[in-house]
Amino acid sequence: MMSKRLPGRPSSLRLPRPPAVALVCLGLFLLCCLFVPRFASFGNLENVLRVAAILCIVACGQAIVIILGGIEFSFGASVALASVVTVMALPAAGPIAGLAAGGATVIGVGAVNGWLVGRMGLPPVIATLGTLMIASGTAAWLVGGLPLDAPPSAAFSWPARGRVLGIPVPILAAMLACVVLHGLLAYGRIGRLWYHVGANPLAARLAGIDVARIILLGYAAAGAFCAVGAIILTSRVASGQPALAPNLPFETIAACAIGGLPLSGGRGHVLQVVFGVLTVAMLNNAVVLINLPVAWQLVLLGLAVLAAVGLQKDWAALKRLAGRATR
Amino acid sequence: MRPLSDSGARFLVAPASILAASALFGLATPGFLTLDNGLSIAGQIWILALLAVGQMFAITVRGFDISVGAVAALSGTLGVMAANAFGMPALLLAVPVGFACGTVNGWLVGRAGFQPIVATLGTLLAVKGLALLVTGDGQAVPLAAGDTAGLAFDAVIGLPPLGWAALACIALAHVLLRHLVLGRRILMLGSNPEAVALVGGAPWRIEMSAYQLCGAFAGLAGALMAARAGAGLPTEGAGMELQSIAAAVIGGTALAGGRANVWAVLAGAAFVQVVLTGLNLSGVSPFFAQIAVGAVIIASGLMDMGLRFLLSRLSRTFRQQGTFQ
Repeated sequence: MMSKRLPGRPSSLRLPRPPAVALVCLGLFLLCCLFVPRFASFGNLENVLRVAAILCIVACGQAIVIILGGIEFSFGASVALASVVTVMALPAAGPIAGLAAGGATVIGVGAVNGWLVGRMGLPPVIATLGTLMIASGTAAWLVGGLPLDAPPSAAFSWPARGRVLGIPVPILAAMLACVVLHGLLAYGRIGRLWYHVGANPLAARLAGIDVARIILLGYAAAGAFCAVGAIILTSRVASGQPALAPNLPFETIAACAIGGLPLSGGRGHVLQVVFGVLTVAMLNNAVVLINLPVAWQLVLLGLAVLAAVGLQKDWAALKRLAGRATR
Repeated sequence: MRPLSDSGARFLVAPASILAASALFGLATPGFLTLDNGLSIAGQIWILALLAVGQMFAITVRGFDISVGAVAALSGTLGVMAANAFGMPALLLAVPVGFACGTVNGWLVGRAGFQPIVATLGTLLAVKGLALLVTGDGQAVPLAAGDTAGLAFDAVIGLPPLGWAALACIALAHVLLRHLVLGRRILMLGSNPEAVALVGGAPWRIEMSAYQLCGAFAGLAGALMAARAGAGLPTEGAGMELQSIAAAVIGGTALAGGRANVWAVLAGAAFVQVVLTGLNLSGVSPFFAQIAVGAVIIASGLMDMGLRFLLSRLSRTFRQQGTFQ
């Protein structure tokens, strides 16, 4: 049996010794400052952080799912569905309840995914791709495929445009999300169980853990992080858009992969997520500033994912491969 | 005698689902159960069928290929560009392009040890971006070399000529999977990777071949898509990877690997098309069809789990000899 209090922190939390992603991130930042025109201006950096903030909040959710050994593709669609639900609920319920309804939708989709993966034993790809289709179909169906404008109000636009002590709300929310995630992973009982289940589900079950419940809670918690992102995004676009953030799942998975979370699960630290997110946001920003076609964002993102995962494989194996290839 | 539980049941799900869906839609919509509609469905399934057969190879070696839709879009577009430059036959350049993408996937998964999802997600993003880049800004590239609409739509003995061509390719896939060494090895790798090494095969090479086949079929699907539309569509194919996975899994391809039947996968593709056409004829919103596809994917996954559970129950009474079929 597991004892109630375990000494020390789970080893899965330890960062890899040279935090490679931090160096990559810093290097990219310096490169961008030197070679990308207008990158290093205050306005642009704030803009990068704003974009990174939403990505970071959702990536925190993705990180939980990845630590559980899963993968979550339905974030983009559930954010779109949330925006539609929010705007449809606005006239009747007012901004706060409307946004809450949108957030609840995302958590609901996450919980369904968790149920399908945990209880029904579906592979995460199948479950989340299925709910992706269902959620985006429902979003488009509700509004007939066209964006629905929201009546402007101060409370409604606060999550995206408000400032607290001069700091934009999305950036504050992202910091808060990181702190909460770190708290859950490092100090929470549930976080330790997520690592346990992700590292070895069979062992977890043999240790008497209700694996299905832990997975369900993990996907629902991921949904909760994504819900915060959905509220900020909806508030920013001030409309219900059935095609709001189609690349969100890809970008969050890429951020986690670039940050060095192994997609086989069981390990991960919140700082890896943060640096991964910053890298993705800077790449996207640089592509726009250099005036390359936006499609380069996709190409670079894909290559970055492959490169990052490739570099995670131990260097010895890479060297062996290179040796064989040259022979 | 091989017990039914060993292989038969899972491959009967797709035909049974077609019958059930046809009966349902036949009751709900008067125009559904007509010969014309049947032929129209039969003319439309081939893009999905080719993608699903390719996906089947990837699933059989315990993987996934979520890049097939993007690969089809890129290879179809490049095929059209080649056809415009060098004449009609060059449209088939789509196949080597797809094969090349499959090679990248296969190398990453088989040799470099990437998880299939990560590898194909990376290529999905890169290939999607490339398809947009080669066309400037995602503009459709019209096929100037010749008119392919006749080949793609006018039925000759029931099917349009390109449908017959696709059927021939699918028959080839069946021969490959059932009767050639490579196909047997792919099935073997799916059911027991160690066994492949023990009989002297190179597991990574076989895994790579499976992804190469998947890519080549995606390329074929891209060529067919371009011929049907009369243009290369760089943004087409989003969502096709989901439909292809659904069709392959409904067609009895085991998610745990090692079990597949090409004809059942073809039936799975036909089932997805029957559902889409049926919903279309019933006059529901086209967005509802998307919801239905999502439900079909999840249902197919649940079916696979249910079958595995049931068959493992049943097969305890029969002593199974071979594990791969």
